[in-house]
Amino acid sequence: MSADTSQRYRSKVTQRTINTVQPEADMPAKIEEDTAAIAVKKRGLSLGTSTLLLGGACAIGFGVFSAVESVLQRMDSYPVTASVLGTLLAGFVLCMLTLVGREVKGFMNVNRHMDRRLDYAALSESTDKRAILNALKSHASAFSSHSYAAHCYRTFSQAVNSDQDAQEVLSLYRRTVTQPVDKRAQELIRKESMTAGSLTFISPNHLIQTLMIVWISFRTIRRVAQVYGLRPGTFGNWQLFKILAQNIAAQSIFDLATDEVANQISGSLTARFMENSAEAVAVGALNVRLGKALVKLLH
Amino acid sequence: MREFFNQIIKPVQSLSGQGMSQVDAWFLQQRHRFTITGLSRSGKSMLFTSLMTILKYRSEEKYNCLPLLEALPIDLVEHMRLEPLPGYDFFPVDEHMQALARGEWPAPTEQAYGFKLIVRLRQTSTLKKYLMPYTDVVFEFIDYPGEWITDLPLLSKSFVQWSDSAWAQQASEPQKFYATEWHDFIEEFDFEQPPTREAVLAVVSQYRKYLQHAKENGISMLQPGSFLIDGSGFDWRSQGFAPLPSKVSSDVSHPWYKTFARHYEAFQKQWLQPLKDNTFRETDKQIILVDLFEGLNHSRQHLYQLKETLSHLAETFVYGNPNWFARHVLRQHKIGRVAFVATKTDLIPEAQKPNMLSLLKQVSEGAVAKFEGKPIEFEHFLVSAIKTTDAGSNDNALRYTNADGAYVEADFEALPAKLKDMEADAHYPVLAARVPKDHLPRMLNGRGLDRLLQFLLN
Repeated sequence: MSADTSQRYRSKVTQRTINTVQPEADMPAKIEEDTAAIAVKKRGLSLGTSTLLLGGACAIGFGVFSAVESVLQRMDSYPVTASVLGTLLAGFVLCMLTLVGREVKGFMNVNRHMDRRLDYAALSESTDKRAILNALKSHASAFSSHSYAAHCYRTFSQAVNSDQDAQEVLSLYRRTVTQPVDKRAQELIRKESMTAGSLTFISPNHLIQTLMIVWISFRTIRRVAQVYGLRPGTFGNWQLFKILAQNIAAQSIFDLATDEVANQISGSLTARFMENSAEAVAVGALNVRLGKALVKLLH
Repeated sequence: MREFFNQIIKPVQSLSGQGMSQVDAWFLQQRHRFTITGLSRSGKSMLFTSLMTILKYRSEEKYNCLPLLEALPIDLVEHMRLEPLPGYDFFPVDEHMQALARGEWPAPTEQAYGFKLIVRLRQTSTLKKYLMPYTDVVFEFIDYPGEWITDLPLLSKSFVQWSDSAWAQQASEPQKFYATEWHDFIEEFDFEQPPTREAVLAVVSQYRKYLQHAKENGISMLQPGSFLIDGSGFDWRSQGFAPLPSKVSSDVSHPWYKTFARHYEAFQKQWLQPLKDNTFRETDKQIILVDLFEGLNHSRQHLYQLKETLSHLAETFVYGNPNWFARHVLRQHKIGRVAFVATKTDLIPEAQKPNMLSLLKQVSEGAVAKFEGKPIEFEHFLVSAIKTTDAGSNDNALRYTNADGAYVEADFEALPAKLKDMEADAHYPVLAARVPKDHLPRMLNGRGLDRLLQFLLN
């Protein structure tokens, strides 16, 4: 600014030196590329682990039952010792109940997530950036910390800056959180359905086939729920159970129909191949139906 | 025999190679020709430097810069590369980065530079992956001294028309204040003497002195701006001219008129026309950079003068929106999308940005009026190529390190939302922020570029 200007015009900016140093700016956050690892990091319980846990639970259950019976029997003869043992036992059962309670709480997460669903229509009309950010933050607080949804939300948070307006923030959320999470869920459903179809194709009998479908269906629900940031094993939703039951019933009817067709054609290897192929396609499609219903619930 | 065969096959191979490249260009390239029109000191060079750096770090290092830029999804970017633009020296981005590292702002541009920035995007569609495995988004940028742009309207004026309009501008504020010495000189000058080389040089030098003085004081409409920089391809010392008083310019037989009119014509033919044809050629998108601080830093009159300058500039470009056939087959290039961009907006507090945007809209009203009846899309943006300031202790304050190295808090009174609301005797001195030591993260955290590119690429 020249001396001419400062003499002719009154300044509308007042300046004063402050006794601090300029803070150093941080580089923008990097986009993490290995997102597949994030989903893998917190995988649910494997079948082997579940078997071990069930075995352990049986042993504990029988042990607890014997312990209670034993304590009650010896109460008359050794009241002090029996009371101490009884207290210890009560403490143990209480802890167990707490653990069960936590599982029940997790079990209900799908419903809670649905209750906290984002009202995009209302947010799209808002011009209050702070209110939108609070709504998104509150919604994201339900995500488990290592989930893909939480990872996407972190990317979103790093990209938000003071320059963006309310609708730009909402659009950024859609692009960096909602769309990638939906896309990931769709990919997962496709993969799981392929697995369901393949397992059905090679399964030797109907019992194993049905068990596999049940297993894959639960796994699909768990994995999709994980993508959306819900805890592993949280699928407490009646609609999903209904779809699951319908899928199994549909698959059984389809089994009967394909058996009959195969018998009519002949008992040859080709007929068997045709039957298994048709069943595999049907099971894959049913699994996609289940996955889509879940995505619809969680979206 | 082999030579004979080669003689026949080589042209065929060459033609086939050219044909394949052209086919590749048609199907695999998305070409965007940008003209960045900015007056002197509007921040063009810094904007280019920042843009190249941000896109490099975004593509190669996957930094989450430009979050609102949906047209170039970060997860689809395979790589980015820079290529020279034929006929231009390569934009000196490395020199500018070195200057920033030394704590100096990039030197003002004194010649034309060009570069191509090519971002390769992966294909996501299953079928397209095999047919067209990638899309190259090609940006073509040309940087040039802002002083040249104000000269383009001279192409459509005769010497007398220009001379009269120059006198009219100098007769009103704010130019009048800075032209006193020049006016005194002309009043005392003896136009009865023959226009010898020395006499012409004396008049032109005095006029140039006025132009320099006015430029230092925030005047943007300075003609001929090309006289202000020695890198221009016109020798103002031997073929210079200046506005003549009407008593001289109205007499077509006057030796001074004849001399200056001849020099003016040479300026148009030898310098301006080739400049327009080469530097401001084929383009379909235009970014008009506006440094509102040049006005706010001085006075309301300066802002009105800036508005007038922008209005004149818009007259020199060809606007329209040709269809695919006209653009690719008939090679018609018209500007169909225009972005008015206020630069250096990190120098005002966040709370004052709505008013800044409102001022930008008003200052560009005259230029926008030129689009009437044409299918032109335009939008206004606030951009900072580097974030030199930090938030202050209240919404209307900013903190920055000044040229002496002191960390200063600046409190702003509210910016006027309308030009007429700006007090005639007040100004908003521009914050003389020095280059921050952490200039790289502050460049990558620049504001508004994502919104601007999204508008231009969509």
